Amino acid sequence: MEPDGTPSFHERFVDLFDAHFQRIYRYLHRLSGERELAADAAQEAFVRLYRRGSLPDSPEAWLISVAMNLLRNAASTQRRRLRLLTPARGENVLSDPPPSPEQAMDAEDTRRQVRAALDRMPDRERRMLLLRAEGYSYRDIATALRLNEGSVGVLLARARRAFREIYKETFGAP
Amino acid sequence: MHLDEDQVQRLLHGELSPPAERSAREHIAGCDDCRRRLSAAEREENEVHALLRVVDYAPPEIRAETITARAQAADPAARARDAAWPRLAAGFLLVVGIAGVAYAVPGSPVRAWVHEIVQRMGVRPEPSGASRGPGGSPAVSGIAVLPERRLLILFKSDQAEGGARVSLTDDPEVRVEAPVGAATFASGADRLLIDNEGSSATFEIRIPRSATWVEIRVGGDRVFLKDGSRVTTTGSMSVGGYVLRLTPPGS
Repeated sequence: MEPDGTPSFHERFVDLFDAHFQRIYRYLHRLSGERELAADAAQEAFVRLYRRGSLPDSPEAWLISVAMNLLRNAASTQRRRLRLLTPARGENVLSDPPPSPEQAMDAEDTRRQVRAALDRMPDRERRMLLLRAEGYSYRDIATALRLNEGSVGVLLARARRAFREIYKETFGAP
Repeated sequence: MHLDEDQVQRLLHGELSPPAERSAREHIAGCDDCRRRLSAAEREENEVHALLRVVDYAPPEIRAETITARAQAADPAARARDAAWPRLAAGFLLVVGIAGVAYAVPGSPVRAWVHEIVQRMGVRPEPSGASRGPGGSPAVSGIAVLPERRLLILFKSDQAEGGARVSLTDDPEVRVEAPVGAATFASGADRLLIDNEGSSATFEIRIPRSATWVEIRVGGDRVFLKDGSRVTTTGSMSVGGYVLRLTPPGS
């Protein structure tokens, strides 16, 4: 706490971390499908914010922008190595009870389908859809994606429609 | 008059102002069509969000302390400096305040002492851009903005000496820095204005790689353009970026 009673930078940072780390991680993971990259980028964005020593005007949008840049750079580096790797298999959603083998297969199928539908979306619409799914405000979305705030509502509706149509065309009704 | 798509979305997401929301809800109460559209939007969003949750895994167990420790380990000097800065600034302002009051009080001897010291020292103005920070290193001033779709960085005057070093970064902000006193900075919706008249300083300009379009001009002449990932410049490449002369091309 500062002498004037306002929270210190450290306290504000901790509050921000507690409120946003999981959301930013989840957003990056949904965006990329890469758990390790998403975790690294989310952590590094917060490290950079702490090293900055002060909070920007819109910390949420700042964190999203930095994390997206880090993810993109890391992903482009990793793409060069991916040919040597095989996709991870057999990972479980930790919050779910242990599924039966049939349920696990169904869940894995659905996961692959959702992932495929997301990957087929235009980049900007995918990012909008995922940011809104994490509850970010129109203002944060507009700042992070450099859009006019007044157009966010209509673009979000379009993004949601695009996802549903792609999913439906490819895999049937959601 | 029905609600348009933007109003339906904003109503769904709680993004309307209180009066606009009241008005929209009053309309919805009496309009089957708009009520159906709002319900459909809500249902579709719930379906989409349920599908998105399918791809989730539990987030890593990371605590804020881990992050702050990493930040301090990565850059302890910067962190110590950042932590100390507000206290130093507060102390400096306190001293300046007390000295100002002492100087202003009628009949105060402080005024006479200051005049005497100034006369003995023969103080002359600092040369432009030569301001020094603690420890003798040049103190810097500057400006940082989140770029919109397009950003113009405009130097008002050309410079015979000095120039600009441009680097591309992962930060979201465009930052321009120069020694204190070398220039004044102002920002508009889509531009940064740098009044560098008479300056011979070298400006440090950091541009996010993600910025879609950033142009640097000296007067009316373009010396640098980042358009997407493509960079064109009248300057030269150097380690970590580009070096620009702040003179019109061809001069």
